[in-house]
Amino acid sequence: MKLRNPYLKENITGYLFVLPQFLLFLLFIVYPIIEGIRLSLYKVQYQQETFVGFDNYATLFSDPVFFKSIINTVIFVVFIVILTVGFSLFVASAVFDKNAKYVSFIRGSYYIPVMVSMVVMSMVWSFLLSPANGLISYAAREMELGIVNLLGNKSTVLPVIILVTFATNVGQAIILYIASMIGVPKDLFEAAEVDGASRFKVIFQILIPLVKPTTIYITIINIIAVLKIFVVIQLLTGGGPNNASVTMMYYLYNNAFKFNQLGVASAVGVIMFLITMLLSVPQLRAMFKDK
Amino acid sequence: MQQVKAKKQRESFDVLSNIIVIFFAVLNLFPLYWLFTSSLKNSSDVVKMPPDWWPQTFTFSNYVEVFNSQPALRWTLNSLYVAGLSTVLLVITSSMAAYAFSKLRFKGRNVLFVIFVSSLMVPKEVMIVPLFRIAQDFGLVNNLHGMIWPNVATAFGVFLLKGFFDSAPDALREAARIDGAGEVRTFLQIMLPIVKPGIGALFILNFVQVWNDYLWQLVIGQDKEMKTLMVGIATLMQDLNPNFAYKMAGATVAAIPMLIIFLLFQQYFTRGLSIGAVKE
Repeated sequence: MKLRNPYLKENITGYLFVLPQFLLFLLFIVYPIIEGIRLSLYKVQYQQETFVGFDNYATLFSDPVFFKSIINTVIFVVFIVILTVGFSLFVASAVFDKNAKYVSFIRGSYYIPVMVSMVVMSMVWSFLLSPANGLISYAAREMELGIVNLLGNKSTVLPVIILVTFATNVGQAIILYIASMIGVPKDLFEAAEVDGASRFKVIFQILIPLVKPTTIYITIINIIAVLKIFVVIQLLTGGGPNNASVTMMYYLYNNAFKFNQLGVASAVGVIMFLITMLLSVPQLRAMFKDK
Repeated sequence: MQQVKAKKQRESFDVLSNIIVIFFAVLNLFPLYWLFTSSLKNSSDVVKMPPDWWPQTFTFSNYVEVFNSQPALRWTLNSLYVAGLSTVLLVITSSMAAYAFSKLRFKGRNVLFVIFVSSLMVPKEVMIVPLFRIAQDFGLVNNLHGMIWPNVATAFGVFLLKGFFDSAPDALREAARIDGAGEVRTFLQIMLPIVKPGIGALFILNFVQVWNDYLWQLVIGQDKEMKTLMVGIATLMQDLNPNFAYKMAGATVAAIPMLIIFLLFQQYFTRGLSIGAVKE
């Protein structure tokens, strides 16, 4: 059978091609967001749900552990993102114009920890940092710093997690910057070189401003990635000592799957959802600018 | 004279930067070196102080123990199944949708695409409670398919592949249409082969992403036999066995498949990752 209206036909074909992805999108992304907002207004006990208004939010904001989790998450986001952007800019600008073999060696060395995953890297670090048997504790003893338990100490646990997370994940930003810098037209540098500009100046005044879209992208994806930081907390500290390293995602997980507080956990999820949406506005605007 | 001096200054700044870059690259690989060598030591050598920088005696007994005392082979197969099937399904659904968004004219196309892409930034972890309840309703808890379907919902594939379809010439499609090929045949036989590099990049990036995913697989796979490799290996951290070499062997088992994939497909990561960032 031939449809008489060719426009109608193309419309239907279009919808049919999009349909499978769209159904999954509705079921596993749109519906959970709506359901999450709804659940955050309910007290959930097994099959029984009671409407409680904003009680779950009130519970959250009167819980010092939740505040601690927000503060820690903000600290992680700020420090890890600054370290990541700064260091990957430095690495990429140093190597992007070198020969291809060297570039791929540097890229590989920094990206391999990303590949082997945060789970594996957390396990290695927990061994390295182990107070009794770890290499780092051994080094500290050799340097006569006494017995160190960097993960068991309130004042060192956050810097250690920042460093471990940064070192494991910086490779992605380095790959992105190198790709973006290789794409910058060579004549821009040559013109500056003829004018006698130093490499330092070329990097700061030409290269870094030109890769600004990449900087925005890296900043946003890293903020969102660190916002949901979980694996390293669960495997290295369990949120301790005494909640000193608890994060929002870890707090959400514990409420949902340990304390069976599904309503409260949903409220944390809604707050995190709003934060990610707010943060991604500049990126989305950039992506649709040329539309 | 001036020129020469500037050149020299430039060189030394450059050399120094690259020395620092290499130093940190090596330092960044050290934990992995320590992981591999520790996994080959025996249980007393691994905690010896001062440490052996290179194993005195090589032993594979830790690996044997990982596979004997844990269902590590089952975990590996679970991970392969979950990452493999998620990726195949994602490639199918998102190549269809990306093709429609790029080449077909239908009402609401742009609005729908914007909505899809906006969801890219929302990590599924923040909605883990409602997602878990959906999984419960469908009987997908403690079921490998429960780990698979939410991964297929991501708009990442649509976003990545649309760029590849956009750069495929319309003329080819029109020629196929004039020859009487239907939309489905045009898609399968003319357009899909053109975007093969995009599909390759999507395949590898998503496979690694799902393989290394942790939280969702942790809550879905509850029985020991239902765990994936990452979640299973992570349980070794709580294992009463005090032998660090055994834990490091487990971590190595989890790391090796991804290392191999990276060494084989390095260029896909470079290209695939950059697509979101560089928008000409």
